[in-house]
Amino acid sequence: MDQRVDIGRFERLEVWRDGHVGWLVFDRPAAHNALDAVMFRELEAAWRALDADPDVRVIVNTGNGPAFQTGLDMVQVARDKEALRAVSRQTRDFELRFTAWQVGVRKPVIAAVNGVCAGGGLHFVADADIVIAASNATFTDPHVSVGQVSAFETIALIRRSPMEPVLRMAFTGRHERMTAARAYQLGICSQVVDPPDNLRAEAAALAEKIARNSPTAMAVTKKALWEALERDLTDACAAGAKDLAIMWGHPDQEEGPAAFAEKREPAWTALDHRLLDAATAREDDR
Amino acid sequence: MTYGGYETLVVERQGHVGWLIFNRPDQLNAMNNLMRDELADAWLELDRDPQVRVIVHTGNGRAFQTGVDVMEIATDGIGFERYRDSMENFDVHFTAWHQQVWKPVICAVNGICAGGAFHWVADSDIVIAASDAQFFDPHVSVGQVVAIEAIGLIRRMPAEAVMRMAFVGKYERMSAQRAYELGMISQIVDPPERLREEAQQLAETVARNSPTAMRHTKQALWGALEAGLTDACRAGAKHLVAMWGHPDQEEGPAAFAEKREPSWAPLTPPS
Repeated sequence: MDQRVDIGRFERLEVWRDGHVGWLVFDRPAAHNALDAVMFRELEAAWRALDADPDVRVIVNTGNGPAFQTGLDMVQVARDKEALRAVSRQTRDFELRFTAWQVGVRKPVIAAVNGVCAGGGLHFVADADIVIAASNATFTDPHVSVGQVSAFETIALIRRSPMEPVLRMAFTGRHERMTAARAYQLGICSQVVDPPDNLRAEAAALAEKIARNSPTAMAVTKKALWEALERDLTDACAAGAKDLAIMWGHPDQEEGPAAFAEKREPAWTALDHRLLDAATAREDDR
Repeated sequence: MTYGGYETLVVERQGHVGWLIFNRPDQLNAMNNLMRDELADAWLELDRDPQVRVIVHTGNGRAFQTGVDVMEIATDGIGFERYRDSMENFDVHFTAWHQQVWKPVICAVNGICAGGAFHWVADSDIVIAASDAQFFDPHVSVGQVVAIEAIGLIRRMPAEAVMRMAFVGKYERMSAQRAYELGMISQIVDPPERLREEAQQLAETVARNSPTAMRHTKQALWGALEAGLTDACRAGAKHLVAMWGHPDQEEGPAAFAEKREPSWAPLTPPS
């Protein structure tokens, strides 16, 4: 543990790898990690770097300081005319590229919510695979309290949580906060870490378990499950059946049972993005 | 103030909060033909009233709602044929969703919520319940099919609980506590007598937010149930953009900075 290898150079993020675990950490603590123009640009590059690194098998996303994420810092973004144009255009066309899902990250992503998660911060919860939270974390969506519409984050959240609590969050705005304990009851997160200071250690332990599984099988699983959110049930299963076939003949399918029989850790093949690129290209052809 | 002309409903306004109250307590608020017609009007009347920002929906007596009054509909000669036609064409108008009400709707479940009552639970935004509320779906126990209410519910809560209610029928009731655990409701009010007070308070909290932003948020989120995730986000983008340049987007941050309540622009009439 703590064999930290930095990945890339960023101003508003800390990005590193420790063993097979990649870390993407919001680093604007004085502004509650709100997305300014620089962070907005850097996130796409950071997700892509982690997804491309063959040594990274799973990514943990958390924040420095008391907050996890509080969404777009509109005052700051508005000062950078080019960034404002980019945010406006990418919002209008839904071509945003700051979460793992938006960027098309194929590796499992764990959001480790270390404090308040407000408004646009919910993007990173909605677009993660696994969510854990410190016991003092809170969730709130203040959009309508400041005259803004809540859409992308809550649209994604109602696919993965009972809808009523999401609507309540959207309509009570900044006047209510959901606790980590309630988010756990509702299945919005799967683990509450107490004391809060243990969050990163618990996130690392969880990530290391995930990293013991076949990277390719996990990438295809992630593809099948997220693409299922695009379709009705029967169509999603039919598409999922094609995803199963992507894995057939892959060396991990021999290695898994062999390692199990020999009571050793499997030596997985690193994720080869070309395998999934080819599958996606075949789908586009159809 | 009270809106006149309703027999089977009480329709009122308290401040910015509209109230739509089932008022057939002796029939456990079962929906007869007249109530069905009055509901269609009442939703639209509250939606049109510019003073109303949020709507609370509850019942008089010991039941919230118990669904269609089968006795009346089956025996008055015309009711059943009319009901069959409206269902076959899915041309129904008794919930806020049917009537495309885009103001936030809070359903306050005051007691028994059975069968067709789930239409109003499924089609509300926020649902709270008195601690003695009970939820069950007796359709299959009386030889009826349950479809529309349960279809709505499985989009907004864990499916197993809905399937269990559908198949156990009248032989089991779900408690308010279990409904809370499942995220079907977000608040249990105890003692039960305080339900309306809590509902009014919650509604007043919601009424502090921008009416126009809430309308677009509601349209984006309910519209999302009709499409795949990416298509839903693309459609949602239209609602985000629709708010750009609206005066509430200046007023919200200004009020926050000046530590005062925002003075929101009134909703423009539904187009």
